[in-house]
Amino acid sequence: MPQSKSMRIFRTLAGWLVVAFFFFPIFFWTSVAFRDAKDIFSWPPKFFEFEPTVRNFEQVFGISLGFGFGTQETVNPGGGNFYMAPRLWDSIVVASMSTVLAIMVATLAAYCLSRMQFRGRHEFVNWVLSTRMMPPVAVAIPMFFIFKQLNLLDTYLGLILVHGLMNLPLAVLLLKSFFDDIPAEIDESALLDGASRWTIFKRIVLPMAKGGIAASAVLCFIFSWTEFLFALTLTQTGIKTVPVVSSTFVTSIGTAWGNMAALGAAAIVPAFIVVLLVQRHLVRGLTMGSLKQ
Amino acid sequence: MKDSVRKQYLASITDKFVRGQLGRREFLRAAGKLGLGAGALGMGFGNRPFGAFSSARAAEELTPNPEILKWLADVGKPFAGTTLKLATESTPPSNAINGQLKKYFEEATGIKVEIEVLPLEQVLQKLTLDVASNLGTYDLYYIDQSWAASFSQDVFDPREQYSAKADLAMPNYNLDDFLPALVDGIAKYEDRWVGVPYDIPIFIMIYRKDIYDKLSLKAPETIEELYTNSKIITDEMGPKVYGTTGQMKSGHYSLECDWTAWLWGHGGSIFGPDGKFTGNDEKGVAALEYWTKLKATMPPGVDGWTWDGQGQSVAQGVAASMLSWGEFFPYFDDPTQTKVSGLCEVAVPPRAMSLRTVKETGYGEIPGVGHQGGSSLAVSRYSKSPDAAWIFMQWATCADTQALITTLGGGTGPTRASVYDDPRVLAQARVGAGTTRHLPVVRETIAKHMGSEPDLPEWAQLSSDTIPVSLGKYFAGSYGSPKEALDDIAKQVGEVLKG
Repeated sequence: MPQSKSMRIFRTLAGWLVVAFFFFPIFFWTSVAFRDAKDIFSWPPKFFEFEPTVRNFEQVFGISLGFGFGTQETVNPGGGNFYMAPRLWDSIVVASMSTVLAIMVATLAAYCLSRMQFRGRHEFVNWVLSTRMMPPVAVAIPMFFIFKQLNLLDTYLGLILVHGLMNLPLAVLLLKSFFDDIPAEIDESALLDGASRWTIFKRIVLPMAKGGIAASAVLCFIFSWTEFLFALTLTQTGIKTVPVVSSTFVTSIGTAWGNMAALGAAAIVPAFIVVLLVQRHLVRGLTMGSLKQ
Repeated sequence: MKDSVRKQYLASITDKFVRGQLGRREFLRAAGKLGLGAGALGMGFGNRPFGAFSSARAAEELTPNPEILKWLADVGKPFAGTTLKLATESTPPSNAINGQLKKYFEEATGIKVEIEVLPLEQVLQKLTLDVASNLGTYDLYYIDQSWAASFSQDVFDPREQYSAKADLAMPNYNLDDFLPALVDGIAKYEDRWVGVPYDIPIFIMIYRKDIYDKLSLKAPETIEELYTNSKIITDEMGPKVYGTTGQMKSGHYSLECDWTAWLWGHGGSIFGPDGKFTGNDEKGVAALEYWTKLKATMPPGVDGWTWDGQGQSVAQGVAASMLSWGEFFPYFDDPTQTKVSGLCEVAVPPRAMSLRTVKETGYGEIPGVGHQGGSSLAVSRYSKSPDAAWIFMQWATCADTQALITTLGGGTGPTRASVYDDPRVLAQARVGAGTTRHLPVVRETIAKHMGSEPDLPEWAQLSSDTIPVSLGKYFAGSYGSPKEALDDIAKQVGEVLKG
């Protein structure tokens, strides 16, 4: 039934309203990154009328952007070794490598759970699910002791392993549901044609589950990117991920909101790029299974 | 040139440079005459994000005493190549050392120092893990005064270290120079020193002189006067400007800090000599009633603010006074950060109505309106390199380094008596970023008005959870009366102490 003009206008307005509502925190946070202290804390609050500055970014990243309205002087906000560029790199390494690790293991595990019948399969799935219910702090402290003994504290390898393990249950469960949605008859036909399990997995099932894998990878990446507890407990000065560095802007004499906002605004970008890169697959992945046979 | 004359001259030209009375070229030339190295010529540095380092920029040119550097080079030689680790809150001293001073130590000794800067509660988490594991992940502990009892057996007593290792003892380190009140309030648990006093944020009265003058008011000398002044200002200037402000966020340690100031100021105490909670006695109830009255003169958002929001309410001109950490004052004086530069003045905290003696309290609690925060620095018993850590600790807390911290970091009160009189520190006592003009009041507050929390292992939980959560509920209207709220706190404290 064709919509009336007023209905169309209403829907458009409602759409923009929803977008504005959800986008406002990002806009406001980003705008804080471009303010100096006087404008951040001005009372009554200023939303648009402030003099923009790049000083917060310069301070956080230890660089000079050299714009007319900025400053060419830079400092190190953490007081010595917390310039953000290497810290962003730490986060990128940990998040991407742990995602690769989780997805590699989870894909194989999920395929087995989806296609193979063996005793205790359902119990195993339930156990995987139950690990998501465990509070991370329950394992963070034992993990600290183990990692200290294995010399994995404050190393990329240590944090990649932990984030990979942390994301594994989620990835297994998600991927299993994606594999479940691919008809098992395809596998059976291929088996009849003489293909091995590995060939079927590699040549047939994996390409069909590409969207689901991309969706799972994005979620793993974002969870690792934003994870705080393990990153705090298992690192010291060698490695610092973005959330941990962000917390260092809380000082004994107040919070450096401008610096924190600059870091937060910058930290959105890599996660945004990852989502953009896999966007095509992501849409397919997220809608996989919505239309059943 | 004598060292003291050199310091005087350096302080004088630094001050002129900061005030803009001396050009960069002239400053560098004069500094060069004093033998400042090539590193001193790099002038490209800026402000700390939240004021602490927005001090006199030229003060960066101040370098450690050459005699101390020579001692470091001699004594540190056997430890070259060692790496020391310290987890600390982001405080002015730690940031000054981490950002600008540790390079001198590292160059002189060959000892590498890694300083992990974290929010206070995460420092506690890291230290607790380190102590529980005995693994010696950190060589030095930053110990907040409320944790002194908990960590007292996990660190070396610095007096023992100093006397036991004569070959590592810094000449003229002078343990007696630490302000005795701070040793008692921050660094001592029973008979042991739990490190040496490292920083001392303390409550002082900060008020807007222009507003006080306009309304013909004078700095509050008593607690009752503070209320009267605050009410007058709020009645006259509200809702644009309120008389005073607070750090009253429900469930946060800051709320407990405010509470103790009013409790002690009314003659009350947290504990009695028998170790039982006494915050709910007659004096305690009077304090909470007063505080409730005073809150009506504060800005509406006050029960969502920690010291951060409280400080910003003054910095933005919303509140005309605050009884809070003196560390904020240099930030308020920084014209690039706030609207109130040059408009604020300081005074000692309002006089208490009556004060209990230490004997009338429990767990070494020291009543006083000038609530003291602060921390100690100590060498961990589990450190793999305790001697190297001890050398670093002496250097970080010696008078020369403390003077540099105060001039570079601006704001925090020195913990040594001699530093208050150091010419480099005195030269910064003028309106502007990184001022030290509040330090005489800080010193007087430490000596005469300081209040210190009790030392008991359960205090970290009581001060950061039990008490502020219930006080938050009280201000949210969950209790029928102040007495009911305080009785409930007494019950909860009793349960925690029972274990």
